[in-house]
Formats: sequence, structure tokens, C-alpha cells
Amino acid sequence: MYDLEFHSVSKRYRLAGRSSNRGLLDKLRWFGRRSGSFWALRDVSFGVRSGEALGIIGHNGAGKSTLLKLISNITSPTEGEIRIRGRIAALLEVGSGFHPELTGRENVYLSGSILGMRRAEINNKLDSILEFAGVLNFADVPVKRYSSGMYVRLGFAIAAHLDADILLLDEVLAVGDAKFQERCQERILELKANGTTIVFISHDLASVRRLCDRGLLLNHGRLIAEGTPSEVISEYALLGRERNRVEESELVNARKPARVTAFTFLDESGRPTTELQTGFPACAIVEYEVMHPVQHAAISVLFYASGDWTVASHFTTIDLPLHLPAGTGAIEFSTDELTLPPGAYAAGCSIEDDRQQIDFVSKTYFTVVAGKPVRGRFHSPHTWRELRYTEAVSHEPSRTEGDEKP
Amino acid sequence: MNGSNQLRRTKVIRPATFSPLTIVRGARDLIHYRDLLLTLTIHRINVRYKQSALGIAWAVLQPLLLMIVYTIIFSVVVKMPHEGGPYAVFVYAALLPWTFFSTAVTTSASSLVAHNNLITKVYFPREILPLTYVLAAFFDFLIASVILMALLGSYHVSLTAGALLVCPIMLVAVLFSLAMALLLSAFQVRFRDIGIAMGLLLQLWMYATPVVYPYSIVPDRFVFWYSLNPMAGVVENFRRVILQHGTMNMAVLLPGVIVCMLLLPLAYLYFKTSEATMADVI
Repeated sequence: MYDLEFHSVSKRYRLAGRSSNRGLLDKLRWFGRRSGSFWALRDVSFGVRSGEALGIIGHNGAGKSTLLKLISNITSPTEGEIRIRGRIAALLEVGSGFHPELTGRENVYLSGSILGMRRAEINNKLDSILEFAGVLNFADVPVKRYSSGMYVRLGFAIAAHLDADILLLDEVLAVGDAKFQERCQERILELKANGTTIVFISHDLASVRRLCDRGLLLNHGRLIAEGTPSEVISEYALLGRERNRVEESELVNARKPARVTAFTFLDESGRPTTELQTGFPACAIVEYEVMHPVQHAAISVLFYASGDWTVASHFTTIDLPLHLPAGTGAIEFSTDELTLPPGAYAAGCSIEDDRQQIDFVSKTYFTVVAGKPVRGRFHSPHTWRELRYTEAVSHEPSRTEGDEKP
Repeated sequence: MNGSNQLRRTKVIRPATFSPLTIVRGARDLIHYRDLLLTLTIHRINVRYKQSALGIAWAVLQPLLLMIVYTIIFSVVVKMPHEGGPYAVFVYAALLPWTFFSTAVTTSASSLVAHNNLITKVYFPREILPLTYVLAAFFDFLIASVILMALLGSYHVSLTAGALLVCPIMLVAVLFSLAMALLLSAFQVRFRDIGIAMGLLLQLWMYATPVVYPYSIVPDRFVFWYSLNPMAGVVENFRRVILQHGTMNMAVLLPGVIVCMLLLPLAYLYFKTSEATMADVI
């Protein structure tokens, strides 16, 4: 028995560009002319069995968000048919529909009913929701006075209390502090154990592996692989190299003097990977093509955490002056101990000429899993050395003074 | 936690089609979401009055101030013919249904655009958004009606049982507001011009409706075209049943009612068809 079925579903978007600001006159002027369009999804068919957890992965622009919008009925397909059996709960953006002036309690009613809950149902679950979010004591405070953590927790708590047959998950697992994330995961596993069908669309490959029974891989709007999460994830890692080649041919701006052709993380045996370990060596290769020699080149590798903030950026300028002759080349970025804590990340890299960015590649997603334990915000590479007690007390005051004035 | 399997609804999503079946399906979906309609309407009313210093007085203030201005212009400065009591009562009885219509249409026209963050993130029948504004405007109308009662009392105008006819008359006003709300809100998603044109449109529309002048001065040769405006029939008859002891003028009401009956299903159909891709263009 399938809870969710896609039958040859396609979705076309018009490339209107400035559609949201377009006026009536513009529209009339363009009337009759065929504007450009592209297929965000093309002929996608799959089924999700009752009680199954399906993970859907793919690069940016592969059609994941379109798929999500189609399942949650936010937009309609251009072709094909989608069948949904049962009540669906989409945890796409927690806290959507909150009104800052209203209290937490009022917002539970508002957001809950937007998500499709009945008033009677909310009455019954109100306390449980407020407790799960940890805002029981702030139920009558306007949410504009909430901390961002409280806000997100309340949003998730409402969605997690929907008695849904099908749960649609986005990157929600990446919100809140570690303790709350743990509770979210617990709650999801609990729902799964109760037979809720789960569709999980994410860049967080480790979570997909942990949570899902089956995986789908999307690329350029088409379904290209289906199988166990591990199978699909390794397909995805291989895709990283393929993808850049495809994008290359589509590059409009061919006048760039140089461009990044591939960005790949490698494991110890030199195979492409998307999974790194905290505290262990990590290695990435940036491949590039130079059309016109670049005199003062700099290549950078950047890491982003969820929410798109840059966690780290590394530039070659500091350690390695680069003169790039025409042709192709590659540069290796490596670290002996990865300092990033476990989580989902994205990496990007760019080439600069005299501090002018020439090329920047779209993000490559990767996951960091627990290697060495992290207590705190990041792993800091370190060594311990046991000193003998007598040695420790024999510090002379004159020596510390000398240290203060370099 | 999952209810028995038999109770599950199967929902089929297909490309949007312009067919009467869409109306039936849409209406069924809407009934399913009735609690959201209620909650959002209450929220609408709450928020409006929570954030303003004068609170609920605003519902009364708008028609009341307009009444004072029009009374000064049309009964002190210029002498406008009027029937059934002093000019202040005459104009206020018309401003009540008119203010309802104008508030309902102006606020609901931008309802979808104003909630684009919701529309791109959650599914619910989109018509709920314009609907809540129409209902909230009706709530304002009820509050402002209290002033009419007070006004009638102070000018010693007595009400008869015929005044109950305001119920079917207001029903026409609500249905017509709904049709306009659906049309204009869906239209504004694609053409932002609507938002800018709204003020002008309603101002012109008010002069095509017997608000500040009596219906009786409309020349006979214009009467048919004039009465195609459903608000003309609503305002004229609203005033008649309140101030002239329950006599209705069907000649001015009927064409508007027919227009309204044709427009509402068409507006809903247009809305539902445009809803399918609303999230892509908003």
C-alpha cells in the first residue's frame, strides 16, 4: 500500500525573472511572445510505502525543493499526477505563520490551524506543545519577546504534534541547540516507530543514513538513482565531479580568465567522499582551468554551516603565492585534524585575481560525523604533555616578565 | 497514532483545469478547513485592534468622520436633496454598507501578496485569506451599526419590522464583496498595479453608488446601467428599509443580484485556477 505516489510528474517554471515586480503594461507588452521556461522536475515517478522512511538527496537545483512543494501542495504539477493517502504534515519552515504581537498560546492556535489542526485538537494538545517547546511559563508572552531558540522550538513542537500519516521533513533537524535537536530526532524516531510515513529531504547525509529505509537521488530534475541510503549516498558523492562538467558547458560567461571545474573531498584511499570525521585528517581537491594566465591568483576554500553562515574560510594568499599559467591544474587543501563539529555543512571555493573574484562554485554538501569527541563549539587540535610537579613550580618570575614583552 | 486506514482521505493533485468541478472540489476543501477560517478571522480582528491605541473605536470612527464631512459639504455648503430624515442619518445609513464593501475589498485585495511567506511555505485553501478580511470587515460593520441605532434614536427616526430586510440586502453585499475579493486578490498576485489603483477605483465607485446623493436623482436613461452595480442596489435598499419603513426598490436591486450571482462562481473558478501556480509567481 502506497501512501504517496508520483506518476510521471513534471513541473515547469517560467523564466520570468522579475515576475514579482512586473506591472500590467510589461505583461501586455510581452503578451504573445513565448517567454523562456525550464523543467524543474521531469517525468519523476516513485512510491512511498506506508510506514516507510524515504530520503531524497541531490545537489542545489536538482529539484528537491520543487518536489517538496509539490508534495505539500504549495504548487501544482505541470504534468502527471500525485496521490497522497492520509494527512500530511510538512515541517518545512518552522514558525511560519507566527504573528509577533500574539502570545505563544495564541500562536499555537494560529500556526496549528494553518498547518491543518482542528481547534478541538489544539485544545487537547496545547499543554503538551508548550511543554515540549519548553515555553510553558511564557505561554502568555508575545512571541516577539521570545529568544530565537524558543521561537524555533515552539514552531517545531506544533508541527511535531500534528497527527499526520505522512511527515515531510526539510532541514528542520538542524535547528536549535544540540539538546533540542536530540529531542527532535527522538520525536521523529518515535513517530516512525508508530508507523508514520516519512519523506526526508536534506543535505544532511548522515541523518538520511540514520533515519531512512530507502533513498532517491535527484539530478537536474530527474530521478537518477534509487536504493538503500548508502547506495544513493555513494552515487551522490560521485555526482559531485560529473555535475561540474555539466555546469561548465552551460556557463554563459565564457570570458572568465579561469574557472573552478571540480571540488571534491577525498577519503584516505583517495576516493570521493561526502563524509568527514571531526579531529581526523581531511583532504579536498580543487580542479581548475585557466584560459588566460592569472598573475596574482588566490584560491579559497570556504565552509558553511546550515543557515548559510561561513564557519571558516581559507585563502592560499597567506601561505602560497600562485601564478596560474594557461591550462588545467589542481590544488590540494588538507588539514591534519578537522576542527568542525559533527553536522551538515556546505563547502564552496573560489578563484581570485588581485582580490577580484573570478569564479565561485556552487556549494558542495558534506557531513561531518563524530570522530574525536567535541565538548564545546569546535574541536581544537591539541596535545597533552604531563609535566612533573617539581618542574611546574620551578617557574621563575623573571621569565614570565620577559614573555610579556616580546 | 494513525487513525484507522479506512478514514484516510486520498488526495489527488493534478495540473489545474478550468472546469466547474474545480468549484465543487474547492468548496469541499474549504469546509474541511473551516476551523482555520474561524481562527484566522478572530486573529485578524484581534490584531487590528490590539496594535492600535483607539482599538475597536476605529470601526466606528471611519464612517462617523465621513458622515460629519459629507454632512458639512452636502447639507451646509451645498444643499443636496435627501429623503427620510436629516442628511446626517441619510448619509450614515448609506456609509455603513459602503464602508463595509470598501474596507472588505481594499484589505482583501492585498491579502495574498501580504502573506506571501505563508503561501510559499504552507498549503491551505488560499481563498481563506481574502475571506477572513471580508469577515473582519463585516465585524466592523456590526460595530458601526450600533452608532446608527444611536443616531436614529437621537433624530427620533423609528424602526419598523421591515428593517429586518437589511439581512438579505447585506447578504448580497457580502457575496459581492467576496467575488471582488477573490478576483482582485488573485489578480494582484500577478499584477501589483491593483494595489496602487485600489484607492482611486473605490473613490470613483462610491460616486457610482447612491451614498452622498439619493437614488431618485439618477436620470431615467441611466437607471439600467446604474443598477448593474450591485452596490447601488444594496446601498439604496439598505437606506430605504431603515429610513423609509421597509419598502424595497427591486428594480435597482435585481440586476445587481444577477450580476453578483454570475460573478461569484466565475471569480472563484478564476481564483482556484490561478491558485495552482500562485506560489511560483508571488
